[in-house]
Amino acid sequence: MQQALGLMGDQAIMIGITFAMGIAGIAGLFMALFWPRRWRLPYRVEIGFIVVLAGIVIYADRNSAQTFQAYEAGLETQQALSGQVAAGQEGAAFDRRIAVYAFQWGFLFFDEDGAASRNAVKVAPGAKVLFSIAANDVIHGFNIPAARMTTELEPGRVQSIWIQAPQAPGKYLIQCLNYCGLGHTQMKAWLVVGDDAPPAAQEHG
Amino acid sequence: MTATTSTDLTGPHWTPQDLLGGWTLRDFLFSNDYRIIAVKGILTALVMLALAGLFALTFRAELTVPDIQFFGARVYMGLMTVHGMLMVFGFVIPMVISVCYYLMPVVLKTERLHWAGAAQASYWTLILGALLLIVGRPDFTWTFYAPMSLRVGGDLVWMGYLAIVLVGVSEFLAGAVLLRNVLAWKNGWGSMPLLGWGMFSEALLLLLSTPMLALVGAILLTDWAGLTGIYDPAQGGSTTTFLWMFWFYGHPAVYLPLVPAIAIVYTLLPRFLGRPMWSRASGIIAFLLLAVLSFIVFHHHFQPSVTTHSWVQRAFQILTLAIFIPSTLHVFNWIATLWYDRIPASAHAAIPFRFTIGAIFFLILGGVTGFLNAQISVDTDFIHNTYWIPAHFHAMFLGFCAQMAVAGTYYLYPYFTGRMVNRALANTHFWLWQLGIFAKVMLMYALGYAYFPRWVVDYLPLPEWTGAQMGVTMAGAAIGLGFLIFAANLAISARWGAAAPEDPWARSDREPTMTAATAAPAE
Repeated sequence: MQQALGLMGDQAIMIGITFAMGIAGIAGLFMALFWPRRWRLPYRVEIGFIVVLAGIVIYADRNSAQTFQAYEAGLETQQALSGQVAAGQEGAAFDRRIAVYAFQWGFLFFDEDGAASRNAVKVAPGAKVLFSIAANDVIHGFNIPAARMTTELEPGRVQSIWIQAPQAPGKYLIQCLNYCGLGHTQMKAWLVVGDDAPPAAQEHG
Repeated sequence: MTATTSTDLTGPHWTPQDLLGGWTLRDFLFSNDYRIIAVKGILTALVMLALAGLFALTFRAELTVPDIQFFGARVYMGLMTVHGMLMVFGFVIPMVISVCYYLMPVVLKTERLHWAGAAQASYWTLILGALLLIVGRPDFTWTFYAPMSLRVGGDLVWMGYLAIVLVGVSEFLAGAVLLRNVLAWKNGWGSMPLLGWGMFSEALLLLLSTPMLALVGAILLTDWAGLTGIYDPAQGGSTTTFLWMFWFYGHPAVYLPLVPAIAIVYTLLPRFLGRPMWSRASGIIAFLLLAVLSFIVFHHHFQPSVTTHSWVQRAFQILTLAIFIPSTLHVFNWIATLWYDRIPASAHAAIPFRFTIGAIFFLILGGVTGFLNAQISVDTDFIHNTYWIPAHFHAMFLGFCAQMAVAGTYYLYPYFTGRMVNRALANTHFWLWQLGIFAKVMLMYALGYAYFPRWVVDYLPLPEWTGAQMGVTMAGAAIGLGFLIFAANLAISARWGAAAPEDPWARSDREPTMTAATAAPAE
């Protein structure tokens, strides 16, 4: 499944590096404690160690920035085309453009025609969907685990994110990830992926 | 009793004596003797730990299985908020600082705690804050994001804002005390023990960050009262302002328990191993670098909010990743110190040493994931505000900071009671905590990876969530049982423990036995 953030590969490398560093550290600790052989490290080893760490830091920063910039480039394409091509039409960056209003406590989705639905939004399998999300009460979150995407919403601003919907039809969780008051637990919605998708996406596919 | 004049950091710090039995209630409440201030701080922190832990076990019971069993969101969030606040502000920060109050006058040879009156004021201010929290029972979490925090809670919610101001004042005073005592070191910066460098960094963090916390608390109070509208968008205020101001305190704040805990490691290792640290210079550089970086990384707490230009975000990302370097230098130094010569059998057997090793283990386990948390792309996937974050900070706060506070307490115990703790009970506590904390942290990481959201009282019965939640509750119960054994051990041993020998942590290649301890001359 292609993800908006394209993280599978990069993330696997980063999680691998994290595991390796953790295991190396814990192994070093236990060897220092229980391995009979004693070992006095020369100080220059630490210099080499810092160089390696700095390399890992720079690699992680570059990797993360590239991944995120590629994702942001997708958003900018949309902005460049905005107003010229309707979503779902030939040449459009996105199959769907959905406005979302996050409130205490729920999500309201408006499709391209302005039709509203509460706590559920229907898209075609694999559709590229742009969400423009607004909130005006308190800070909320917007997270779609199946699309591996999270954002944080500050009141008074419109936040745009895009995802690629899963290929398999089904109901996928959308949840708030910021504590926003007593109803936070209930603040969830469903991304409904199905073939009987709304007209815009059907015309396109 | 006099402090030893040993210039060697590996030598004994005091002679064991039953000080506790000689203190009257009046001494205990108001004396400026550094040992009394420190022991009072430690015992109070343990009471806070007991309360906050009880709250945690209560809301954990609710989370064991999906659906609402015992109580709803209001009670849950009240318990969770007071759990977080008491643990961070009432238990872990004051406890590591109290252990350092006890160590500083001897390690830094000041013989007494300078500005003890300020330490006393810091203590009582915090007590007042804790009482306000318990009475007011705010339910806005320990990060109290405005404007949510302005719209929850009952009529008593102002007590929560006032408590935030008092915590700021209390921590500022503690910072002033630490700085004053570090400056009392007479032999020049070059030869200052690493405890001194740690306390210097801690003082900088406290003095520079806590005024902002007090300001944020005061603004919440005036916003709530309708006098100002600084954080509330409905009044023309800005949540971005809140986030920047709060996290300017909030990031240094999470190092407030970390830095003294690191300083305790640097004090205990030479004592148990009988040799200096592998590299003093590396320790000093790591302390200073950690202190400086801690002020310029805070944006990572709200990086998916994208209200900041992308190159500023990128700068915060690389600075956050750079934190990895000083923190790893500390761990590297400890491992190199353990490795460069033999480890006495007495060290392996000593309870404080065991807790120190356990703490280092969890610092590694919690620290490496910081490498992932810092990366915007990974953070935007499964890290931000899922259980991954509490897993990370419970490994750090509980696994490392709290375990170093416990190591320090076990270490100091014979010096103020004249007795040794029961070893069997202490070892039971040790293993319950290592296994409990490990299970809890790993399961919470797994939940975070499965996108389990923070701050929820109820959850969907997804297979990847339910088993792990039940596991976390059981691990929490094991940690709670460990605490009960710890508290009982401290209480029982004060009266019935074996009398402490002249040097309770004397190094030898034979494990100390109960008979050896009992045979030592009793007071």
